[in-house]
Amino acid sequence: MSTPYYIPGTNIPLPPVDADVLSTACDYCIVACGYKIYRWPVKAGKTGGEKAAENAFGVDFPVDPLGPWVAPNQYNVVLHEGEPHHVIIIPDKDTKHVNINGNSSIRGGALAKKVYNPQTPTRDRLKSPMIRMFGTLMPVTWDLALEIAAEIGKYTIRKHGENAFCVKTFSYGYMENTYAISKYALRSVNTANFTFHDTPSDVTSTPGFRDAGFDNFGPSYQDWKDAETLMICGTDPYESKTILFTDWIMPAIQNGQKTIFMIPRRTAGVAYAEKNGGLWLDIQPGTDLLVVNAIARVIIENGWQDAEWIRDWVNNKWESSSGFGQGTRNTPWQWRTTWGKFQTKGYDDFVKWLMAQDEFEPAVAAETAQIDVEKIYKAAEWMAKPRDDGSRPKTSIMIEKGFYWSNNTGNTNAISSLGIITGCGGRPGQVIGRAGGHQRGGLRGGSYPRNKSPEKLPGRRRRAMDTDRYLMSGHTRFAHVIGTTWIQSMCGSQSLAAKFEELTVQNPNQVRSYSRQSIIDTLKKRVDSGGMVVVNQDIYLVDPIGSRFADIVFPAAGWGEDTFTRANGERRLRLYPKFYDAPGEAKPDWWIVANLAKKMGFKGYDWKNSNEVLEEAARFSRGSRKDFFMLKVAAQKEGKTLHEKFAEFGTDGIQGPVVMLEDGTLQGTRRLHDTTLELSATGPAGSNRYNKKLTHFNTQTGKCNIQKSPWSLFSDYWAWMKPKEDELWVTSGRINERWQSGYDDRRRPYIVQRWPENWVEIHPDDARERGIESGDYVMLFSDRIPVQTDTTVGIEGDDFTFTKLMDQGHIELTEAAVTAVAVVTPALKKGMLYMDFLHTAQPANALSGRVVDWISGNYNYKMGVGRIKKIGTSPYKDSFRSMSFARRDIA
Amino acid sequence: MTHQPKSVSPEMIEVVNGPEEIAKTGKRCVMTRRQFLLTSGISTFTVMVALKSGPSAAKVPAMVSTYERKFICKLSELKEDEPLDFNYPDDGAYCESMIVKLGKEAGGGIGSDKDIVAFNYTCTHQGGPLQGTYQKGDKALGPCPLHLTTFDLTRHGIFISGQAYQSLPQVLLELDGDDVYAVGMFGLIYGRYDNLKG
Repeated sequence: MSTPYYIPGTNIPLPPVDADVLSTACDYCIVACGYKIYRWPVKAGKTGGEKAAENAFGVDFPVDPLGPWVAPNQYNVVLHEGEPHHVIIIPDKDTKHVNINGNSSIRGGALAKKVYNPQTPTRDRLKSPMIRMFGTLMPVTWDLALEIAAEIGKYTIRKHGENAFCVKTFSYGYMENTYAISKYALRSVNTANFTFHDTPSDVTSTPGFRDAGFDNFGPSYQDWKDAETLMICGTDPYESKTILFTDWIMPAIQNGQKTIFMIPRRTAGVAYAEKNGGLWLDIQPGTDLLVVNAIARVIIENGWQDAEWIRDWVNNKWESSSGFGQGTRNTPWQWRTTWGKFQTKGYDDFVKWLMAQDEFEPAVAAETAQIDVEKIYKAAEWMAKPRDDGSRPKTSIMIEKGFYWSNNTGNTNAISSLGIITGCGGRPGQVIGRAGGHQRGGLRGGSYPRNKSPEKLPGRRRRAMDTDRYLMSGHTRFAHVIGTTWIQSMCGSQSLAAKFEELTVQNPNQVRSYSRQSIIDTLKKRVDSGGMVVVNQDIYLVDPIGSRFADIVFPAAGWGEDTFTRANGERRLRLYPKFYDAPGEAKPDWWIVANLAKKMGFKGYDWKNSNEVLEEAARFSRGSRKDFFMLKVAAQKEGKTLHEKFAEFGTDGIQGPVVMLEDGTLQGTRRLHDTTLELSATGPAGSNRYNKKLTHFNTQTGKCNIQKSPWSLFSDYWAWMKPKEDELWVTSGRINERWQSGYDDRRRPYIVQRWPENWVEIHPDDARERGIESGDYVMLFSDRIPVQTDTTVGIEGDDFTFTKLMDQGHIELTEAAVTAVAVVTPALKKGMLYMDFLHTAQPANALSGRVVDWISGNYNYKMGVGRIKKIGTSPYKDSFRSMSFARRDIA
Repeated sequence: MTHQPKSVSPEMIEVVNGPEEIAKTGKRCVMTRRQFLLTSGISTFTVMVALKSGPSAAKVPAMVSTYERKFICKLSELKEDEPLDFNYPDDGAYCESMIVKLGKEAGGGIGSDKDIVAFNYTCTHQGGPLQGTYQKGDKALGPCPLHLTTFDLTRHGIFISGQAYQSLPQVLLELDGDDVYAVGMFGLIYGRYDNLKG
């Protein structure tokens, strides 16, 4: 870990003309800016000069603004093929896409500081496999660690069934890895006890989008720029996906785009939009649905809806039944529509329902959401009012987690319908989609065995297993945790941690021997006694899942340490090449999983390198938004490896799905659901596949489903959670300078100086009442964090509503407390608190209810509640060396 | 113009070593070393920065670049919240800097209120100009017109929000009677690979 005392350097070595230059993309946010790596050996003692002819950039120093300047944070020394090399990693000044001016965020800008260098705070990278013996994690060989994990894994499956074997993994750590991991978990082990880093269950993140027929990542970045009105819900892209804002939305705002932000926290992007005439819908947490439907109502009352679009692209009664139904099979799609709560008979039926809900009266909605009602009217006007000449504004809608993790099903249903009536979707500048969080590196190597899930919803529907609740109930006996901060990344994290502790370190069966057989016997006894064995695979030792609870630790290799591929938020596929040696014995995740699977007796894991994994995986991308199968066809024809073919596209990449034209050239897809796209009249040739989503929406008919979004499905939970007495909402999210758990940022002195620990924003009025000032240490606490218990079988239609769960004793109230440094700012709405979402030591999620959205199975992470009190003065209050308490929304 | 240092102010030592260090180590040692370095020309040296807070009051090495001493202005000329522009460390590209009396104590601040600080004007993200962006309410520079980064002038130029790859380079100041001198810098100036290669 780094100390917060950053001292900047005052010079850097320039790369010589003959430095190696590699193209890659950033490891962090969804945008995946293009980067160049300049690498040259330390041995020769050579550096470049300040004249253009003397350095690898080919420019004179000092460079121009936006030029290839190298900040000290962009330089490092690594081992490459065993020899020390200088590396400089800066945004690619030549790329034609994404970060077109060679721009970058503060995260990607400091990529060079993430690479392993034992002289820096990265020195604690995991370097060898470890087994906990006598309470301590001790380095062992790969063979021993894998053998013991395989033995216990096989035993667990044999004795306790596949569902006792849990795999909890990142969903995005490159396609080679996610393919291997999901092949092992879903195809080989075939467990329903499987999910990704950000959800307790393997379920869709945006159910409303899915059922309306919208892909999460249909739009291209150009569409966000081309929109004349852009509504952004639950995120400030400037704070979390920088370049999407600075290089695409900011120029649009300068060009007159009307930007509407619906978010309770005013950050730099919101402030910039407001300063340039934009609108800020400063709602209180959880009330998005009401405001969205109120806007829809104003639009319809004024007759501003996009009638032509609705006529052509919305399912009527019969189409809707066909569009939703997919026959009578037992699909999540189907059960969500059970009881007619969402499905409509078409547009008119939707309007009838919308107008009948009193809570969508603008005045009522505005009062509940605590916003000025005029903002609802203005938003409606901007989004839909035709101009004098009858032409419509090009309107687009962008959503992200602040929105869809507040009322997961309801919000995504409501926004889909608003999108449909305002003509979003399928046309340049008229789109609807997610802004995105992490990059899109998922590739399924097996399908989820839903019928094995014990989670049974009313009306004989099965939903993917809630892995947290299953673990809390003591059913999980073996947990393989891969690259995720399981525990703090889930809601009600402190009671979850307590259960982990009980199942692992408090179990009497602890390894107190160095003998292989004795270790295996002890861990088998643990499994049989109702305890749990934890295998943790990561690049750093994560607290507590690795440092305290893991029995076996596998050291993983990451970005730049093997060659990988991944897509960004506009489905742009790129190669991320290996450019330096992974530390010690660390291995890429695909290698670890393959060797574990082989030792468990599974077949089909004989890959020699990551390219072989991807070549096997390519066909599983067919029909998906990042379909790159035709790249493999082209590679084979040209006698290249698939990775070589990816490399040819450099930082520009190619947007999935990729099709091959008749002359053999490869063509990317600018946007999905593109109603303006003309495909070859003769149909797909060769191995090409024309998925419906290229030109239509993701429904049976290819048209959109317009859905209801009843407030009543969520309002009981919202009303119960709503702050009482001196409580405040506790919500959380990203900030620009920290990525995920801060695994890299905590090792960057520059960032640690800014954020030495977690902080909480509080409105000045709320702070004054509690005697809190910026820089004070505060405690956020609650004794009523609701936790859903038991894996239950639903019979009656309302069995899973919060009220019914509470009545039937399936909700337990738990205590939680986290400390933070107070930041008093008027940029936050009164009545709420805001923290960074994932500090391992001070996790905001501790104060969020561990109660899933009962329709979708996702957590509503952003809905937390608690009290706050001053506990003292932090060292940052009066020192000038770290933190800043200035407001972040200076415009 | 070049001046031989007559004395090093306690404020300067604070900038380099933090306030507690004056009492602990006495300034003579530091002065002697600095005088040596200054008289022997432009140099970079490592000093120990005492941390006045944090879990351990440890010392960490700090790279402080000391350059030719340059007269900036008269202390008595500075008015609160009215930045004064100057060039430093040379007149080359991106030399434009500002000195300001914040009216609020600041890290590295000189003067009786420790509120006079100086910074380079070029954004350490992509080289945007920060001239004319002084925010008196927040004691900040920015937002940068290019990508909206803001910098806290009370805390050594650390970014408040935004994209900068490092803190805004802080010009180290020295006070000699009523004369304010620039004597060095924390951090690399945008566009340069070495602060003295303008």
